[in-house]
Amino acid sequence: MPHGDFHPVLFVIMAVWVLVCGLGVVAFRNVVHSAMSMVLCFLGVAAAYVLLNAGLLAIIQILVYVGAISVVVLFAIMMTDQRETKLGFFFNRQAIFAAPLAVAAAVVITVILVTSKMAPNGSQSHNVSLAGIASGLFNGYVFPFELVSFVLLAAMIGAIVLARKEDQP
Amino acid sequence: MSPVDWYLTLATGLFCIGAYGVLARRNVLLIVMSLELMLNAVNIALAAFANFMPHAGARGTFFVLFIITLAAAEVTVGLAIVVANYRNRRSVQADEFSELKG
Repeated sequence: MPHGDFHPVLFVIMAVWVLVCGLGVVAFRNVVHSAMSMVLCFLGVAAAYVLLNAGLLAIIQILVYVGAISVVVLFAIMMTDQRETKLGFFFNRQAIFAAPLAVAAAVVITVILVTSKMAPNGSQSHNVSLAGIASGLFNGYVFPFELVSFVLLAAMIGAIVLARKEDQP
Repeated sequence: MSPVDWYLTLATGLFCIGAYGVLARRNVLLIVMSLELMLNAVNIALAAFANFMPHAGARGTFFVLFIITLAAAEVTVGLAIVVANYRNRRSVQADEFSELKG
């Protein structure tokens, strides 16, 4: 397989996979089915990263999204009672307004992106080595890196405080 | 259409599917999942820019890494709020949380 080129067949397979699984997330009535569809959609996004020549992002996508976030979402589904929510219909009162809005936004954004000249010679890919990512992350971007670790710590403490039972110290 | 346009079209489609989920579904967990879809769509667009644009370097990769980290923080806090709210209200339906409605 030539490295870093655009593969139309692989792209179409990946895009159909991602979009069908994404539609499954919003279309399934059972929340667990939606969560499973979300996991498959995240796997498709990891495939998109592989096609985009970003193997590190694909591995992190599988570790963080497919591994961690999916488990957190499934835990939240398990801890909340979902029996009555199976009656949440696909076409309810909000969907009548939301569906044309989403379709119109998709059409408008796509037309704007395609007609704009953002990628004049964007046909060949530009490979970035793992060493380049590492040196950039720990030299020029070390302050956002440390800041984001602090945000993660705050989120961890916040989640513990929020989900803790009130009567237990 | 150049390859980056195809990836941006895919990202737009996934983003609008997520936006539809946020707008139309009433289950708070499904709203959080749709938000994750929208963040993934933005990540696809950034990775496409990082790959296909000249002189982009590794900046797109940095953006995607930071967005993934912040999405993990966001989903943790969001689902903790959902669980804490469920403990008080016995519900995860967004239109039943109406204490602040005037």
